[in-house]
Amino acid sequence: MHVTVDVKGEDTYELELEAVAGAAADGEATGDPADATPTYADLLREVELSPHEVSVLVDGRPVPEDQPVESDHVTVLRLIKGG
Amino acid sequence: MIVLPADTRETILERAREGDPDEICGVLGGEYEPDGKSRVHSQYPTENVAETPRTRYEIDPEEQLAIFERLENRGEEIVGFYHSHPRGPPRPSATDEAQATWPDRSYVIVSLEPLVIGSWRWRTESDGQFERERVGGD
Repeated sequence: MHVTVDVKGEDTYELELEAVAGAAADGEATGDPADATPTYADLLREVELSPHEVSVLVDGRPVPEDQPVESDHVTVLRLIKGG
Repeated sequence: MIVLPADTRETILERAREGDPDEICGVLGGEYEPDGKSRVHSQYPTENVAETPRTRYEIDPEEQLAIFERLENRGEEIVGFYHSHPRGPPRPSATDEAQATWPDRSYVIVSLEPLVIGSWRWRTESDGQFERERVGGD
């Protein structure tokens, strides 16, 4: 599946989910690459962002980063917070 | 440098006073230059959804996205953000440094005690640090 990752205020990335799955499996000590289901956290890794610094939204709503990718368009927002 | 028009500055200051003792926050839209002169055209107030709003601020991602879309529809860019420090300090706190995530954007801080409005860019060349910038008027 082709996925568009729109990092607001920065770049838009066009990714192939199958390639993300392979990269995610390569990064793990165990697991069969064929069974690897990329998560939103895997997408973030591909665009060199950490779940600690961003929120992932689908259709304008936040989604948990550990969920498998089910949408072909993902919006990434850097968090705005402090003290 | 960031150009912050006098009426925007006054509006933000008034929000900070009305929000006291809680911190207030918002988004700045306009012309964004990573290293040059950014110009603020509009300010977009947001709710502070932090659990402890007297000492923290946080903008809800859904509200953040809605504002970004409004701002882009008006032909503006994301210049940066603002928040208040009701009891100071008149500079980024340790929490601000630990939680900053927007490289090269302006973080405007309204301190009420002492009364100072300053702005800093978040630079990520090394480990990440705030770099003070000049605040100009229109």
